[in-house]
Amino acid sequence: MSNKQTHIKSKEAQEALDSIKKMKHAGLKRVLPTPKWLLAVLAILIGTQIALLGAEIRTFNTIIIVLILIMSIAIINKSQEAGVTEKALLSKRTIIICLICIIPIYFLAIISGQYLNNYYDYYWAPFSIGAFITIGIWSWVLSAHRSYLKRFNEEKN
Amino acid sequence: MDNSKFDTIIHAPNRLQICALLSPLEQVEFRVIREELGVSDSVLSKHIKQLEDSGYIKEKKSKVNGRARRWYHLTTKGRRAFELHVEELMRIVNSL
Repeated sequence: MSNKQTHIKSKEAQEALDSIKKMKHAGLKRVLPTPKWLLAVLAILIGTQIALLGAEIRTFNTIIIVLILIMSIAIINKSQEAGVTEKALLSKRTIIICLICIIPIYFLAIISGQYLNNYYDYYWAPFSIGAFITIGIWSWVLSAHRSYLKRFNEEKN
Repeated sequence: MDNSKFDTIIHAPNRLQICALLSPLEQVEFRVIREELGVSDSVLSKHIKQLEDSGYIKEKKSKVNGRARRWYHLTTKGRRAFELHVEELMRIVNSL
């Protein structure tokens, strides 16, 4: 233990703690959550792509893929511009497992849409699956946004 | 058992602020640290070097829109040392 510890006074320790709290708050304030509308558009695009592929309508596929890529790049670029990166709520291992699981879910949604489309009229099956995926992504976005606000308020208090 | 530990490297005001700023985040850019601390590039570089030499923070370089940027994050060792230091400060405050 350092000798300085014996000399440090309670007032100095309190000042240091106050300064830590202030900086933590400043750091979290810098984290600009991605605008909800940007994520809503991305969720709609992914849902639309799954619905259209499920309905075997490939006319707009390339345009939607390009739009999804543009939106993803815009979201990543925005977070880089802020100069801070928020700590991931999930561990790297969990994120990798989630990403590995998303790919089969994506193809399963398309194949299910195509399969059910043969049994039901008016493309309702693939479009329902697309809507379900959109709502799923949107719910996840809202929950992530809420957890950020909760964490920000906890640090603030 | 109380494992808190006063860390003289972290306790210097500017370095304490750097660690506090980095602690709730994944990584922070040099420019942001400088703006939050309100110090010059040279002063900040000096403190960052001391923290890097102690193995408390690490640098990562990246290019955003063609411009080189330096990002910093707390290492596991740094995060632990900072947590223990905060615990020790709290112990000192509460000991009265």
